[in-house]
Amino acid sequence: MSEHTEHPTTATGQDAHDGEHHTNYFKIYVTLLVLLVISILGPEIGILWVTLVTAFGIAFVKAYLVIQNFMHLRPEKVIVKWMLASSLLLMGIYFFGVAPDVMKHEGRNWVNMAAMAVVERGIPLDGEHAEEDEHADDGESPGEGEEAAVVAETPFNAAQAYGTVCASCHGAAGGGDGPAGASTTPPPADFTSADFWAATNDERMFQVIKNGGASQGLSPMMAGWGVLYDDDDIRQIIEHLKTFRP
Amino acid sequence: MAQAATEIHHEAHGHDAHAHHGPQGILKYIWSTDHKMIAMQYLFTGMFMGIVGGFMAYVFRMQLAFPGVSVPLFGVVSPGEYNALVTNHGSIMIFWVAMPVLIAAFGNYLIPLMIGADDMVFPRINRLSFQIFLVSVLMILASLFVSGGGFGGAWTSYPPLSAQSQYNLTSIGATMWLIAVALEFVAFLLGGINFIVTLMNARAPGMKAYDIPVVAWMIVIASILFMLSVGPLIAGAIMLLFDQTIGTGFFDPARGGDPILWQHLFWFFGHPEVYVVLLPAVGIVIDIVATFARKKLFGYKIMIFTAVATGVLSFFVWAHHQFIAGIDPRMANIFTVTTLLISVPIAELLFVMIATLYGGNIKLNTPMLWALSFIAEFLIGGVTGIFLGASGADIYLHDTYFVLAHFHYTFFPIAIIGTFAGFTYWFPKMFGKMMDDRLGKIHFWGTIIPFNMIFIPLFVLGLGGQHRRIYNFQNFPELAAMQPFRVLATVSLIIMLLFQLVFFWNCIKSWRGGAKAGRNPWKANTLEWTTESPPPHGNWPRDAMPRVYRGPYEYSVPGREDDYWPQNLPS
Amino acid sequence: MEKPLATLRSATGVPTGRLAVWWLLASEVVIFGGLLGAYLMFRLGHPEWANAAAVTNTWIGATNTFVLLTSSFTAVLAHQAAEKGDGVKAANYLFMTIGGALLFLIIKSFEWYYEISHGYTITANGFWSFYYTAAGIHAAHVIAGAIIMGFIAVAARKGKELQRVELVGIYWHFVDVVWIFLFPLLYIAK
Repeated sequence: MSEHTEHPTTATGQDAHDGEHHTNYFKIYVTLLVLLVISILGPEIGILWVTLVTAFGIAFVKAYLVIQNFMHLRPEKVIVKWMLASSLLLMGIYFFGVAPDVMKHEGRNWVNMAAMAVVERGIPLDGEHAEEDEHADDGESPGEGEEAAVVAETPFNAAQAYGTVCASCHGAAGGGDGPAGASTTPPPADFTSADFWAATNDERMFQVIKNGGASQGLSPMMAGWGVLYDDDDIRQIIEHLKTFRP
Repeated sequence: MAQAATEIHHEAHGHDAHAHHGPQGILKYIWSTDHKMIAMQYLFTGMFMGIVGGFMAYVFRMQLAFPGVSVPLFGVVSPGEYNALVTNHGSIMIFWVAMPVLIAAFGNYLIPLMIGADDMVFPRINRLSFQIFLVSVLMILASLFVSGGGFGGAWTSYPPLSAQSQYNLTSIGATMWLIAVALEFVAFLLGGINFIVTLMNARAPGMKAYDIPVVAWMIVIASILFMLSVGPLIAGAIMLLFDQTIGTGFFDPARGGDPILWQHLFWFFGHPEVYVVLLPAVGIVIDIVATFARKKLFGYKIMIFTAVATGVLSFFVWAHHQFIAGIDPRMANIFTVTTLLISVPIAELLFVMIATLYGGNIKLNTPMLWALSFIAEFLIGGVTGIFLGASGADIYLHDTYFVLAHFHYTFFPIAIIGTFAGFTYWFPKMFGKMMDDRLGKIHFWGTIIPFNMIFIPLFVLGLGGQHRRIYNFQNFPELAAMQPFRVLATVSLIIMLLFQLVFFWNCIKSWRGGAKAGRNPWKANTLEWTTESPPPHGNWPRDAMPRVYRGPYEYSVPGREDDYWPQNLPS
Repeated sequence: MEKPLATLRSATGVPTGRLAVWWLLASEVVIFGGLLGAYLMFRLGHPEWANAAAVTNTWIGATNTFVLLTSSFTAVLAHQAAEKGDGVKAANYLFMTIGGALLFLIIKSFEWYYEISHGYTITANGFWSFYYTAAGIHAAHVIAGAIIMGFIAVAARKGKELQRVELVGIYWHFVDVVWIFLFPLLYIAK
């Protein structure tokens, strides 16, 4: 009852191939060989863009010729083209999703300053599993684990803390010229200026560092660091700031 | 119609007589190319692996709640064994239970029947696919017993842990695990091509693209997703295999490689894989919901396009598994957005189900209960995923029991509820007998209630900060206070596993002494219900193959005496 | 064995076998795409790999490209003969294609023997790992294609299953296309 609607495929499906009998396979073959010779000779010139064009540009042309003429994609139903196109497109997504991590490594060098400060100070861990986090990275491998390695019980170092937390705005030498501070209004305090020291005292500095600039009517851009550093640490930082004093 | 039925019946016997040129005896079952027999092979292998995976869950849940206890039927769990158990539980449940049952078993059984074909387009490739799958099953089971024990590097198998035997201490087990997974991929690639081409080419005369039942569509969309996503991981598996055995450094940073690459390759496959198993389950549930609500499916085309959109989007979300792996933070922003976007099509799928139920003449029998519970439970799984998809929240929740509870709330509805729904719905067709509805309901409630009691406590544990890979919580004093939750989860798991005995008892009892099912016990429209139960070899007599006149969900059409309208009836 | 009705139907208008081969190729595209994409990322991220790439012999690669292009040409001639129903001619062209595959493999093994004996093994560095893995997977496809073509040629000589000559041809051209991209990636770009 239904046989007339079912196309037997035993006869190689010539119905879909009406247009191809004019294809001259030999001509295509010779074209491919000529392209091959060009792609070998091109790089011999030694110019980079010539190499790229002759190597990869010609590879695409050759692949196109083979796919269209030898594989007979040209007369094929459009759904087949969609299938192949979507698998190729997917490889594009794959490449651009993965490349930022595997190829460029730019994402690797970002630093979470606050977390680093905690790590450098030593997290008040429960003791017994502190050593679990020690990664045995050897060599100068670009692994991600290194920065995160916990060094428990390191004594507090004010200069180091200044370098990781303060210097990005206040500058490595305390001049108020750190890169992150360039765009803040008002600008970060300049510890090398006499005016600064004339207008402040230890207690006021302590409050600003601990509770933030806004607590003393200063710039809210100055964050409070009391969560990170206890009072003793802050006093040591203030002592360190005094080394910038003119 | 009754007359036509007897005619078909008569001719089926005539057909049977000359169809059996193939192997005889036991070989008839293990060397068969009949799609129904291969489906049964996949189904029972998958169920057997489900028992293995469930037993593993029981052993390590006991260790987690009562560390150091001698587990009945197993003994004391050593740290290495614990790692092997959780790793293989995950691998088996996804690759050897969800995939074979949902895609291979239901796909093999339903696609030819639903589109009115007599078999798959490539029956022998179909058989080859199962045989390769069987080898992979034996390989993964054998890997548990080799020297050094089974692989314990988690089902994600991140290098360097998986690549270097001085870290994982299971050089043979790790390699066998990898080969088993690769073989499984090959089996499903072959099976997937078969499904896709069968659906595209072998439809009954008159069956247009939008006359195909949703479940067949879903299995085929899932196969396409699988096929297009698994390629990079197959390449990655070869690279990892060389890292393990030859000593190359593809994933070793000290030698110019990159371990993050494996994570990308794995999740580029791994996330679409979630939708590979989700879509068939959704299809099964949709078919059941429409049948037992006696109502036309709300938005058939929307459903298909939504499934395709889900599939496309699923290729853009993979890196949300790697937010704290050290990936480029700018990429984390992009992947957060795409991840949250994918909840839109998923919500749409659920709304279609709910809208179909609305105003329907609902029959609450066992398959329908499973289908309804799928909607409710999967919703919880989906909603908790929002927290994990947002990169900020994920930093806290990553690798805690919250993640674990979340994906069990997605995979359990998919793999277990979806399977039980489909199995109880098509049992009459597969075996020709009705299942016992009362036992079925006991089994349903005995599974659903303990399931929630297992995983709701795990959400709390995760929020409380319990990391998912802890062997013995007593090493972490701050976790001790949450002990009641761990015990509740373990006890619930044991109850749930015991209730599965009801299911097996129900199967055996119904198979031996159940009421005869007849051709169409549920009064459903799709083509598989127009042949005998169970269908003969070739499904229909070769000279009386069905012809299709309408879509599959014409229930309660006004002006018709019956509330259903089979696809093959001339109007 | 009697073919099922399902195999003979063609609702899309593309014959079943050919549709399946196209799907197979779509899945192969992502396998090779995954591998070559990873290679490309590493290569662009490690400029020093150019030193290793400089060791590869462009002329051997070019010879192999020539061999594969020629075998593709004979494969398409076999298809042409099969379309006209000339099974014997198609089989002969297929055997020529198999010969091309064997020649390719022989050249390849001499090349690898030379490189390995000079210390450029698969573990030497990242470039060589990718070099052997990519070319090795490709060679596995060449071997598989040659074996399948052998079976099809034997059947075609008896005039049976002539449509399969085209199917294996499509697969063979795909293997050729993969090599067309491997050649500049592994040999020319230095």
